[in-house]
Amino acid sequence: MAAGLASKCSRVGRSLLGGFGNNLSGLSSASHEMASSTFLFQQRTFIQMRTVLKVVDNSGAKKVMCIQALKANKKGARLGDTIVASVKEAHPNGKVKKGKVVYGVVVRAAMQRGRCDGSEVKFDDNAVVLVDKQGQPIGTRVFGPVPHELRKKKHVKILSLAEHIA
Amino acid sequence: MRLEKCWFCSSTVYPGHGIQFVRNDAKIFRFCRSKCHKNFKMKRNPRKVKWTKAYRRLRGKDMTQDSTFEFERKRNRPERYDRNLAENTLKAIKKIDKVRVEREARHHKNRMKGKSAKERNEAIKEIDQSTILVKAPSALQPEPSLVKVSQLQLDKNVAMEE
Repeated sequence: MAAGLASKCSRVGRSLLGGFGNNLSGLSSASHEMASSTFLFQQRTFIQMRTVLKVVDNSGAKKVMCIQALKANKKGARLGDTIVASVKEAHPNGKVKKGKVVYGVVVRAAMQRGRCDGSEVKFDDNAVVLVDKQGQPIGTRVFGPVPHELRKKKHVKILSLAEHIA
Repeated sequence: MRLEKCWFCSSTVYPGHGIQFVRNDAKIFRFCRSKCHKNFKMKRNPRKVKWTKAYRRLRGKDMTQDSTFEFERKRNRPERYDRNLAENTLKAIKKIDKVRVEREARHHKNRMKGKSAKERNEAIKEIDQSTILVKAPSALQPEPSLVKVSQLQLDKNVAMEE
């Protein structure tokens, strides 16, 4: 319970960061969410520029900040999309170093994604797996649950490394 | 296609409804509607929320153990499609439902047994004790003037006779 609360607080902090540097994209959704949230519930939005995501493989990075949501709609990336990101925090001796620009696949998103049977899925946090230009993962392990939306997007390798498919 | 149970209220979630929340420890919570989802986000315990099945079963307001529940257990082995089997299953579902409803009605009746007698006793007690709130105690005694008139009449009769 305490861990959940702590992750919720960090989420609030992250979204504030996202709202701050968001002048360019002209999205009022970020500021809207801060004004309209009366409870602790946030309105989950897309993964866009300046969104900090957790890295859930063993490639060496810990946190990345999204630079660009590739080929997605104007608003941002969702579950299963690829993004271009900059490594902000890394393990001391890993394959990727701080400041490197990498590609990533979003494996967990706090924003719900509609499934083809009509239901919706959402996860607890925003997480990404680093990949190279061809889509092959850089790391060798993936932690936490991953959605099976990745199968449609042809990220089969990530699915095979995952420990739980939601 | 699979009919799931809502984690909060235990009602069935049909396909196309509800939200599925996957926690980072890979535990999946399914909710039938946003009411349950919002209550979950508020961190409410379903065992304490009065309208959920979990509360009702805990407090004995609904049946907990019955053989009709055995039929609804989750099975993970897919069955080979057999037309006869499917037909029989559909018939059986209807029958089991009817039996379960009857048993629940009986359980409810047992629970409510003795309620009319209890209500009558309470009403009697209320009349005995609380009539004071409606009328003053002096009003409950017979009027002294009435007594006087009859006494006078009696005295008069006695005097007339004499």
